[in-house]
This record gives sequence, C-alpha cells and structure tokens, in this order.
Amino acid sequence: MRIAFAGNPNSGKTTMYNALTGRSEKVGNWGGVTVGRKEYQLKKEYSGGQEIIAVDLPGAYSMSPFTPEEGITSEYVRTANPDAIVNIVDATNLSRSLFFTTQLLELGIPVVVALNKSDVNAKEGTEIDVDKLSAKLNCPVFKTVSIDDKNSGLKEMIAKAISLAGTIQKAPYMQADINLHDKDAVDAEDRKRYDFVNKIVADVEKRKTLSTEVGKADKLDAVLTNPIAGILIFAAVMFGVFWISQTWLGPLIADWLVGWIETFQGWVAGQLENSPAILSALLADGIVGGVGAVVGFLPLVMVMYFLIALLEDCGYMARVSAVMDPIFKRVGLSGKSVIPVVIGTGCGIPAIMACRTIRDERERRATTMLTTFIPCGAKIPVIGLFAGAFFNGAGWVSTLSYFLGLTLIFFGALLIKVITGYKYRKSFFIMELPKWKAPSLKYAFKSMMERAKAYIIKAATIILICNTVVQVMQSFNWHFQAVEEGAENTSILASIASPFAILLIPLGFGVWQLAAAAITGFIAKENVVGTLAVVYGLTSFIDVDELEMTGGASTVAATMGLTSVTALAYLFFNLYTPPCFAAIGAMNSEMQSKGWLWGAIGLQLGTGYTIAFLVNQIGTLMTEGHLAAGFLPGLIAVACMVAILILVSRKVRAHFDEQYELHKGKASRAAA
Amino acid sequence: MEEKMTLLDAEIGKTYTVKEINTDDDDMNSFLFRLGCYTGEPITLISKKKKSCIVAIKDGRYNLDNLLSEAIII
Repeated sequence: MRIAFAGNPNSGKTTMYNALTGRSEKVGNWGGVTVGRKEYQLKKEYSGGQEIIAVDLPGAYSMSPFTPEEGITSEYVRTANPDAIVNIVDATNLSRSLFFTTQLLELGIPVVVALNKSDVNAKEGTEIDVDKLSAKLNCPVFKTVSIDDKNSGLKEMIAKAISLAGTIQKAPYMQADINLHDKDAVDAEDRKRYDFVNKIVADVEKRKTLSTEVGKADKLDAVLTNPIAGILIFAAVMFGVFWISQTWLGPLIADWLVGWIETFQGWVAGQLENSPAILSALLADGIVGGVGAVVGFLPLVMVMYFLIALLEDCGYMARVSAVMDPIFKRVGLSGKSVIPVVIGTGCGIPAIMACRTIRDERERRATTMLTTFIPCGAKIPVIGLFAGAFFNGAGWVSTLSYFLGLTLIFFGALLIKVITGYKYRKSFFIMELPKWKAPSLKYAFKSMMERAKAYIIKAATIILICNTVVQVMQSFNWHFQAVEEGAENTSILASIASPFAILLIPLGFGVWQLAAAAITGFIAKENVVGTLAVVYGLTSFIDVDELEMTGGASTVAATMGLTSVTALAYLFFNLYTPPCFAAIGAMNSEMQSKGWLWGAIGLQLGTGYTIAFLVNQIGTLMTEGHLAAGFLPGLIAVACMVAILILVSRKVRAHFDEQYELHKGKASRAAA
Repeated sequence: MEEKMTLLDAEIGKTYTVKEINTDDDDMNSFLFRLGCYTGEPITLISKKKKSCIVAIKDGRYNLDNLLSEAIII
C-alpha cells in the first residue's frame, strides 16, 4: 500500500515523512526543500506490521505546476494511483492551502487532512474548528505537529489514512465540465473554487492576530531584506560559519582526532614490522595514512554541517534569497540561486538538485553550471591541507577560497548572460517568507551525524580503493616489478600522469605526482589529499603544530616542490575545475541538454586553468621578479579558450537573435 | 487616460484591493492566483525597499521584486 504526502510548500511534509518512516531526508524552513519524490516504509509502530510505503512529494500550490518540482507532485497523484493521500495543510495559512486540498479531493483517492503546525496556531491564538472543517470537506481532519511526533495526532492521522485506503469519498467541490484549454473558463472555475474555500475558512477559523498587522517578525524581516544591512548580515553570518567550522572549533576537534589516527597508524606499522616492506607501505602509509589524512578533516565538515542545518531550519534562507535577488538579477541569475550556493558549501549534488525550484530555464541552467564553484565539504580537506602546510594554517586561505568561488559565480553568470542574450527576457521574483522558528538542535545534530556517516563510508570505500590503486600503481612499473628507489618515474602512475603534467607546467605544478592527485580528485575531491599523502608518503603533514616545529612550509615545499605561490595555484586549480563525477552526473540530469553540460564542463575547466595560470604567473612575477616557466604556452592555451568562448557566444546569439526576430514578427503581424 | 495605481505606489501598512494582475505571463498570473492574489482580493504592503517589497496575501508573507509589484494594479 502506498500513501502519498502532498501539500503546499513548507507545510512540513518531509518532517512528517521523516517522523513516520525514521528517515532523515533534508528539511528546512523554506518552500522548495524537497525537489524529488522519496519513498520509504512506515515504521512498525505506525503501520501495524503491514507493508505501507510513504511517498514524500515536493510541495505544490495546486495541480497546475509552476516550477519543475511542482510538476512531479501533480503528475504523481494524477497517474500513480496511490492508495491514499495525506494532505498536509499549513494550519497557519488555511485560506491558501485548502485550494489544493479541494483539488486533491476530486481525484477519487481517499484523502486525510493533517492540519500541521497546530502548535504555532495555538501560540498565535488562531482557532480552527476541526469537526466543522471535516464536515465541510467531507474528509477526516487531524491536528498534527510534525516536529513533535510524540505528542501530536500523527498516529491517529496515519491510522485513519490506512483504514480509508480503497474507499471512496464524495468530493465537496467538483469542477464543472469545462474546456480546459479555454483560459477564461478555467479562470472562472478557479475563482469559484476559491470562493468555496473562502467561505469554509470564514466559517471554521477564528484569528486573534490578523496576518495583515505589522509585527516584530516583520520588523526583523525589514532589516534582513534591507539591501545594505541585509547583505552585511548575510556576509557576517557566512563568515561566522566558516570561521567556527574551519578556524576555531573544527580544527580544535581535528587536532585531537589526528592524534588518534597517528597512534593507530603507528600501531599498524608496529604490527607489520616483520612483514615485507611493500605490505607495510601499502597498509600503514597507503591505506591508513591516506584515508586517515582525509578523515582527519571530518570535524571541520561536521561542524559546518551543524551550523548550516541551523540556518536552514530557522527560516533565514528565504530572507537571504530575497535580499540577494537584486544583485543576482544584475548578473542574470535569480535570488533563488543563493540557496543552491549555500547548500553547495556542504555538497554540490543536493545544491545542483536544489536548482529545480528556479522557474526560468536559463537561470536554472546557469545556476546549475556555477553553483559548484563554491567549495564543497569534500574540498575542505584540500583547503585545510594547503592552508596548514604552506600558510601556517592561516584563516585567510579558506576565506579567500570561498570569496573567490563566489566571485567566479558572479563573473560566470555575467559571461553566460552575455553569451545567451539574456536582455530579451523578463524574470520575476517571488519568494514566500516563512514564519521564523527556533532551529532544532536535535535536527542539526542528526544532519551532522548523517553527514559524518556518509563521509566515513566514502573514506572507507571510494577513497580507500583509490588510495590502494594509487599506492599499487606507484609501487609497480608496467612489467609488474616493484619500482626501485630513485626510479619512481618508471611507475605505472608516473607514466600515466606525466602527459597531463606537461599541460600543467604553465600553472607551476607540472609534476606527475600533483597531476595524479588532481585527476583522482575527479572521482572524489578528498582524493586530492589522499593521493598526495600516498605519493609523497607524507601523512603527518596535516598536523599543523608538528609542521611549525620542524620548519613548516619549507620542509613540505621541498618535498612537494611547491612554493607558496604555486601551492595556491594548485589549490585553486583543484577547487575551481569541474566537480567530482557524481556532481557532473547530477548536472547532466538537471540540465537535460548536452550543449549546456559540455558548456559547463568547458567553462569550469577553463576557469580552473586560467585562475591557476594567473595566480602562478602574477604571483611568481611579484615574489621573484620574473614570469614562471611556460608563460607563453599557457597564454596560448588561455587565448584558445577565450577564442572558443567567443565562437560559441556568436553562434548562440545569432540563433537567439533569429528567434527573437521571428517572435517579434509574429507579434506585429498579430497586432495588425 | 488616468495612470493606473500599482503596488509600487502603495503605502506601508495599508490594505488594498487587487484590481488587475498583468504580468504578460499567463503562468505567472495563475501562480499569483493560486497564492490568493487576484482581482477583488485584498493585499497589504508590509514593508518596502528600493527594488523589492514584502506583502501579505491571505495569511502568508511574500517578497516581490519591483517588476512583479508593477504588474499588480490596485
């Protein structure tokens, strides 16, 4: 049996779904967090032992979709024939929610209404007569509180939905038999439906505070959406998140964790004392060392996830989206593009999927293309490693990385705007500002632990495998003989990575070890750290304190052959080239256009290369008074990329102008 | 012809009746409709900025940009 969860955006569907199934799908206090269908079995205590699948759907205001994710919902309830529908209604906005409810009631599928957020109503003194509402809708209605599954009507509500499966309810309102292609007839019908809803609401709802009164929350919103104060506050909040997670609390916990990992590594090496050297190298340095190097950064990622979850849960994201809209619009994006960017600090894949709520196709694709410029959680180890090893753990490295990422998003957007001829299109912005809510520490903790679990699993699978493969490839040559000391260049890894390394000479890091690390980074960005640890046998270089004692940067710089300038170039190259394959896959499915996908990959490759080139050449000129090696070939490469860009731009715009002329011609003929 | 009054000309804290919605975009018009913003319905301006404003439609708060405010005739 399948029970679908449908309702307006931000009415608490996913929170209820999580409570009933025990899952931990992403929730947040803004409309459009859920962008895809999710299914899972109900917990035993709710299903009574039967096999019942709960289906969580994206929020929708009605059966006629406006944004792509709304379409998933109407399509599902219309065609998939769930056995029952739980219609989650935001009880604080009954008058709007019931419009969709009456449409759901017409489908011939039994509906149970969950009057969610009843606790907020109780606090605000809004009373809803449940029995009367139930009688008027001719369907069961229950007061629920999704965030408090123990003390709310959740159990009774779901039991009722299960018992109703297969029965037929008589719809209280049926749309007249009209021609659905006749716009005026549809409008008139919708109007009647709203009249019907308004009458019900007037009958069952009593409000103490009118929603038109300007309250405390409105004053706060006025400040947060103020173009100057609001943006400064947002900058301060994000800086706070990065500072706490990557400079203060995160590293504090990480130092302690790294100590444990090193002890473990020593213990493993001790156990292997009498084993062949190659086995000891593989296990102690390759596996434990490489994976340990990655896991050592876990606390930084965890702390950040915790803080971002708090932000998402309180309702701040919608305000950020509103305050950033005018700026983002200027470069051809939408205020809604901010949400993927903030989510992208955690992981690029959900960020790319979050783009679905952007209605305009061009804005949506542009955001998808650019959002991964903001460094994700997997890039934190890379930033942490380079900041620690080359810049004495300076906080500015991470700040600069995020700031540059954001700058690249702006410039990239501007570039896409120019290429695609944005000037012809109109883009509206409307965002619901949800009621503020105290963020749940429990949820933030859960979100953090969930992430930690995923991170450790990734480290123990993909990264472990990659490290092992890298270790083997660098230990053997093509004849499967162990590589002798001093002949490292004959290894399988070296011979594969060397051709790529040549391309990287103008960027200042044209050695096969660094090229190999960058390549494995496309499988998972943490691999950059893991591979470097393996190829240089430098597992302790993540320990900032130790480096300071042994002379720091110079030691590592000598081993890795990097100066501060080239280290920064290498870091930026890894941060701003295309994301991991998984994220590219997500980009592919969201863009649904090979042209855009290849455009995105090309843009990201070009950006990463150009940034690294500029940092290396200009930086070397500034510190050493001369240009770095490979300036001319690098310049030619960058010039070629610019030329391709201009060609693509011309082609796209010619096509676009043609279409526009055609459209204009039609319009003027129609007018005549 | 008399200049039409749009949401841009509204006063903060005052409730108006929507006279017409004209975004030149059928989908946008019907989206606003579903939120409860259509001819004959009340709309209240809660706060206003240079490029956007916050309004109350039914029991919800929304942030609109000026392009959209301009299309809401009151």
